[in-house]
Amino acid sequence: MTTENCGCPVSRRKLLAAGAAGLFAGLAGEQLSTQMAFASPGYGGDVFVLLSLRGGFDGLSAVVPAGDAGYYAARPGIAVPKRQLIGGDAYFGLNPALAPLLPYWKAGTLGAVQAVGQPAPNRSHFSAMEELERAAPGTSLRTGWLDRMMGGLGAAGAFDAVSVGSAMPARVLAGPAPDLGLSAVDDFVLSGEDKNRPMAATIAALYAGAPPALAATTAMTTSALATTARLKATGYTPADGAAYPDTDLGKALKDLARLIKADVGLMSACVDSGDWDMHENLGTAAPGKRMYDHLAALASALAAFAQDLGPDGMGRVTLVTISEFGRRVGQNGSGGLDHGYGNAMLMLGGGVRGGKVHGKWPGLAADRLVDGDLAVTTDYRAAIGEILRARCGVADVAAVFPGVRPSTLGLVKAR
Amino acid sequence: MTATDFLPADPLLHLLRRATYGPTPASTAEIRRLGATAWLERQLKPASIADPAADDLVGRLPLSGLSVDGARAKVREGAYKMYGWEPMFELGYATVARAVWSERQLLEVMVAFWSNHLNVTNPSGDVWDSRPDYDRTVIRPYALGRFADMLKASAKHPAMLTYLDNRFSTRAAPNENYGRELLELHTVGLGYTEADVKGAARLFTGMTVSWDTGRYRYDAGQHATGAVSVMGFRHANATASGGQAAAMALLDHLASHPATAKRIATKLCVRFVADEPPATLVTKLTKVYLDNRTAIAPVLRALFASPEFAASVGAKTRTPYEDIVATVRTLGYAPEKSGTQGVRALYWMTEAAGQAPMAWSPPNGYPDVASAWASPSGQVKRWNAHLSIAAGWWPTTLQRPASPLAEYAGSTLPATYGALVDAVATRLLGRTPSAVHTAALAAFYGEKPVSPLKAGDAAAGWAFPYLPALLLDSPYFALR
Repeated sequence: MTTENCGCPVSRRKLLAAGAAGLFAGLAGEQLSTQMAFASPGYGGDVFVLLSLRGGFDGLSAVVPAGDAGYYAARPGIAVPKRQLIGGDAYFGLNPALAPLLPYWKAGTLGAVQAVGQPAPNRSHFSAMEELERAAPGTSLRTGWLDRMMGGLGAAGAFDAVSVGSAMPARVLAGPAPDLGLSAVDDFVLSGEDKNRPMAATIAALYAGAPPALAATTAMTTSALATTARLKATGYTPADGAAYPDTDLGKALKDLARLIKADVGLMSACVDSGDWDMHENLGTAAPGKRMYDHLAALASALAAFAQDLGPDGMGRVTLVTISEFGRRVGQNGSGGLDHGYGNAMLMLGGGVRGGKVHGKWPGLAADRLVDGDLAVTTDYRAAIGEILRARCGVADVAAVFPGVRPSTLGLVKAR
Repeated sequence: MTATDFLPADPLLHLLRRATYGPTPASTAEIRRLGATAWLERQLKPASIADPAADDLVGRLPLSGLSVDGARAKVREGAYKMYGWEPMFELGYATVARAVWSERQLLEVMVAFWSNHLNVTNPSGDVWDSRPDYDRTVIRPYALGRFADMLKASAKHPAMLTYLDNRFSTRAAPNENYGRELLELHTVGLGYTEADVKGAARLFTGMTVSWDTGRYRYDAGQHATGAVSVMGFRHANATASGGQAAAMALLDHLASHPATAKRIATKLCVRFVADEPPATLVTKLTKVYLDNRTAIAPVLRALFASPEFAASVGAKTRTPYEDIVATVRTLGYAPEKSGTQGVRALYWMTEAAGQAPMAWSPPNGYPDVASAWASPSGQVKRWNAHLSIAAGWWPTTLQRPASPLAEYAGSTLPATYGALVDAVATRLLGRTPSAVHTAALAAFYGEKPVSPLKAGDAAAGWAFPYLPALLLDSPYFALR
């Protein structure tokens, strides 16, 4: 599928072109307001939300393998005792810090996959993150995988793919398909704009003939400004009393819910949650301890997001978490965990087959570890590939993840 | 049009745009007087350059230059609480102050380069007492010196030992964080093995920080002895007392490793030449680095004198930080007469645009290529900053020209809107815009380039600041 036959709305494409020509100011609000589809017309899939847990998330602290004696043996100071676990099943349990998400676990819209990871161990944050977001080992591809997915689905507008919470564009969206980086919806306003002195239109005209990369960003900026001006005028109140925590993640997810409900054409979004790199003092499962507090903050932001969107909204959203690597199975001398390998992935959404831990558990016996780390039994690309195929209408997963076949773990229901 | 069509052809301005945080009227006059070679030689000897404006302003930020002992003494005096972030924020403000107003521009650019290369995030939690000292004693003294010296100083500094966890690394449980980043980020780059990481981590055990003083301390009792082999370096590491010397020998080996030489040459080319640097120049600079035993000044001399550099006009885009600093510089603003409110405001503008100095949290430092910063959100923040600064809305305390119109367009009012645009663009950007772009700027005021400009027109009065702001929003300024 190409951008020519994607069925994208004329208004947004005209807007983009007009923005580049410096003429967009007059037509933006009126034409956008006629667009009421949940996501981009022509796109019938879920809004796919990628939540990146930066720094190396310790999946074993979140989705605890309580049935594996190796877990308790390796972490005498920081293991979560069985009696504290919540949810889960006969073998696994959730960290009690995830309590705000327990209703979704019980309702079957929150699930997990254990022992996922990259095809080969790579314990460097930066190169592991790059590999994770490029997701094409052994190729010379320099694009991000979400960009390839967006290109395949015919993304054409600034709001088709958005990273929320940072002015920096997400690497996973790097590439030719359009995307937008928003630090916050309400901050996306051009000072001095006035119908008598059109700043944005003048700037757009000044980029005529500019190097393509600069010109493309500017066209996107001027068209997106028109959309956020409309959103800002309307304001936003979360539904159903959803209370987002006052954290970067809470703010980003609130803006994301707002964009999803405002029908700006969102197909995919990226959100970051950082600071999981805990080499020391990871702590026990109690308030005030680092890992516990981090997990609690994550859970309260996700629970608010799910509540705000409600069952109808969540029925058309699938959120997954990824991290560049898991942590070492054994704690180190500083009561923390060094860089490891296999990890857990969380999935949240109306189409998720939740309330259980998917995947093949490799075990934590010494001979099952890879250099002291949890082995990977499911390539994260195969797991995401299954979701993209079932929920987002991605027919050719290998075009997103070269050489990868989707898993058949039954992670989600087909749309 | 291509990128070169947006920039003046003048090679001296090309050098200023790359080796400084952007041309000012004074620096442009100076480089024309001295010529490129003498100007560069002067910049390579920063101690010889008087720096009254920056010194005065940084003097108003006394916590920015605190030693570890000094920071702890301030806490004892009750000046601020333990783990307070004031010294780290003051360091951030002082860094912006120097970037904008220091005469030692190449030094400041290289301080930023090394602060990213040997990143210790500022501000960040556990380096409250050591981060300003790291800037003062590790980065600044060696920024134009020998890399091997800087690397060794960083390895023994409480800020680095804390940031990458080596202070907690013990004989019984070596912490690999520093060892890995040392190889991957500080020196040879990817290509090391897990055994190299383990070997390096063992060699650095015992290098820690005193809880009592916050200073560096070698604790021989925690050093893991036994032979190590790291990237071709071999050491018997037989005694605990000799552990620190062995670690320093490894750092000398790594600093002079050909892979390190190539990595640093490549990073310098990305900084000063092009996002995808010419391989010929990288090869040439790698050799200069090795021939000069990791000294940086000879590498910079060779870089700026190279034909590859001369041919790279238009190949770099300003990052958000460079953009905001260059804005104040080209507008010709002086620091506020007293206080620090203006420089603080500039710091928070860079933060909003996504690039407060030294604030990148992972150890790899800020990205230095245009694609990493091609964000609509970042662009809007920068455009808003241009108008705010040009109009004097915020910061309000910087010393603007008495009449910006006269300063940028000349004391005689230009006869037409086109002449106004051309005069202001020449002063701020070093050249006039294309006819199409001049027409777009006249149209902003509802006029044509040939329309007569009258003294009572908004464009010559309250609406004048929009013109410098729009010029700074354009590709003529976005490129460097």
